[in-house]
Amino acid sequence: MGPAQGEVLLAFQSATVGYAGVAVVSSASIAIHAGEVVGLVGPNGAGKSTLLRAVTGDAELQQGRLAIAGIDSRTLAPLQRARIVGVVPQQVTAAFALPARDFVAMGRHARLARFASPGQRDLDVVDEALMLTDTARLAERPTDELSGGDLQRLALAQALAQEPQVLLLDEPVSHLDLNHRLQILDLVRDLAADRGLGILAVFHDIDLAARYSDRIAVVAEGSLSPAESPERAITAESVRAVFGVRAVVGTDPVTGSVSVTPVLREGAVAPERRGSVFVVGGSGAAAPLLRRLVLGGWDVSAGALNAGDADQILAEALGIAYVMIPPFAPMSDQAARDAAEMAVRASAVIVCAVPFGHGNVGNLAAAAQAACSGRRVLLVGDIEGRDFTGGTATTLWSEALAAGAAAVSDGVAAEAALRSSGIVEER
Amino acid sequence: MALLISMAAGVAFGAVRLPMADVIAAIARALRGGGLGLADTLVVQVRLPRVLLAALVGASLAGAGALYQALFRNPLADPYILGISSGAGLGAMVAIVATAGASAMRFAAVPLAAFAGATLTMLLVVRLATHRGRLDATSLLLAGVAISYTLAAVTSFLMVVSREQMASIVYWMMGGLSAASWSYVAMVTPMFLVGVAVPLLATRELNLMLLGDERAGHLGLSVERFKLLTLASASLLTAAAVSVAGLIGFVGLMVPHMVRLVLGPDHRRLLPASLLAGAIVLVLADLAARVVIAPIEIPVGIVTAVIGGPFFIWLLVRGRA
Repeated sequence: MGPAQGEVLLAFQSATVGYAGVAVVSSASIAIHAGEVVGLVGPNGAGKSTLLRAVTGDAELQQGRLAIAGIDSRTLAPLQRARIVGVVPQQVTAAFALPARDFVAMGRHARLARFASPGQRDLDVVDEALMLTDTARLAERPTDELSGGDLQRLALAQALAQEPQVLLLDEPVSHLDLNHRLQILDLVRDLAADRGLGILAVFHDIDLAARYSDRIAVVAEGSLSPAESPERAITAESVRAVFGVRAVVGTDPVTGSVSVTPVLREGAVAPERRGSVFVVGGSGAAAPLLRRLVLGGWDVSAGALNAGDADQILAEALGIAYVMIPPFAPMSDQAARDAAEMAVRASAVIVCAVPFGHGNVGNLAAAAQAACSGRRVLLVGDIEGRDFTGGTATTLWSEALAAGAAAVSDGVAAEAALRSSGIVEER
Repeated sequence: MALLISMAAGVAFGAVRLPMADVIAAIARALRGGGLGLADTLVVQVRLPRVLLAALVGASLAGAGALYQALFRNPLADPYILGISSGAGLGAMVAIVATAGASAMRFAAVPLAAFAGATLTMLLVVRLATHRGRLDATSLLLAGVAISYTLAAVTSFLMVVSREQMASIVYWMMGGLSAASWSYVAMVTPMFLVGVAVPLLATRELNLMLLGDERAGHLGLSVERFKLLTLASASLLTAAAVSVAGLIGFVGLMVPHMVRLVLGPDHRRLLPASLLAGAIVLVLADLAARVVIAPIEIPVGIVTAVIGGPFFIWLLVRGRA
């Protein structure tokens, strides 16, 4: 019933869009095909909604071309446009006390002849839209008594009643609970897959965008990136560049889609520059400290970490220097030398409460060497019970203490000790 | 039905009470074209046109109110509060003063000038209440009130400079139907019919406006063109009412509001019902104006204001709660 899969339904060609002569997004090019969901992500105010509003004719198309189902947007009258494009706005306004069914039936306006009353087919389309959006039970309720989430689903039903080829969604699930969020997004994906709708959706939630979009385009600072697969569009680099957030970007083990865990906000990093700190961690023992130190403005580096280790993932997301070793592999001699070099280059060293075995004792050796070179070294906790090297670790620990290292109770105390030691140096 | 009953009551009661049978007989005699007695003349030449005029004016005001409320998405909008009645009034008054002594010209000039006054005032008020492309509901009411006062000052000035007509102008301004005649009915009827035609055919579009300009556009309405057409209709209805009955307040506010409370906001029912209810309310209000302290007649605008003022306050208080 829908258009052939793959047909271009919406095409921005070097389009500049904005309001009152002022450009919001410049020279945007993107094509939405029948049967696909394209997600738009980006910071607030970047112009995601403006792109949608250019399609509805609410924002100006200042330069370039915008073709809607092959028709130049500038020549589309509202009635004609409403037969092609359905919209679910960010904020849905209730139609006063009008019942929900009548609200949804308003979507039929563009399909009805001027003075005609709705026929059986119109009623059927409205019923189906109510059913698909799980709003049939709300049909007789006055819209001004409904919640934001109910209204959002009714607005989707209203848009479906238009029988559009193109569906524009502006944060379509922002007011929905978890269950309805998934239900509506599943519906949206089915509408694309089964009925060949071309869907352009603005998402706040990057994980949801990645999970439900076939392709994602990023809107930032007035420009639109090319639409790519979620894996290519959403990376630690793009998240940091676009949102100013250092994040762990991985694959959700359950859904298999890209998942973003924000770690820290660039803006939250303390403006003052402190000294450099080398941290010995592993298995997540250093994670909270690494984050605190980066936030505190320290120049952080880390010892050898196994790929896939919690501390390694975080170190990668934070963008700090560290020595990477293969998963579950022991430190090579090269890795031990690299770690020692980094430790001595830093002005302070913190050894977190990690167990030491033959695989990672090289990190402790690096710390001990730093202590002997006069670096300030802080040892968290006690070595007792953590030495799985048959004494090597305990010896190194004692050497460090003898060379002037201090024992602290935990990571917070370690950071406090660093601050009071007044290690501030040029980088 | 209620309209017929209230109209019948309007014809029967007054400073002189007439039995219903006499009323019917009088109308029948008039229709047959027979000679008319004194009571017959009262019925046919005075009461009947007056009641018809009250119905037309009431329907016009309620219709205009319903349209303004729909377009501005504001239940407090009505031609009187928005200052549009005052605009029509000033237009009409200019025409009255300008055509003093030439009553044939006045017949055409007054409605035209009232329509011009209503339209210009509406454009001005909307312009004043629009900030950066958005029509602000509070500003709309404030602008309406401010314009009303300004126009009232101009109107007062006109009264002072045309002393010989002051009494009739003052009476007309307070809103009254005492000058009703068949010629007034003939003048208002076409304006009324033209004014309600477009809105009655576009009730579905009026419903779309409940969603706001932008959503209405998304669903296929050519919003600007529709607004222009509807506002012109509302201005025509306002002008129709004002040019024969002066400034009658609150009917345009109260009637659509009460109807909405009972029937809901669907214009497919709301608009026709408002027209009907407006006619009934003004026929009854005019009846009250005639009989409350008979034989002295109160301008009907006073009656509607006495009911409407407190109603408006109730709306404001309720809206805040």
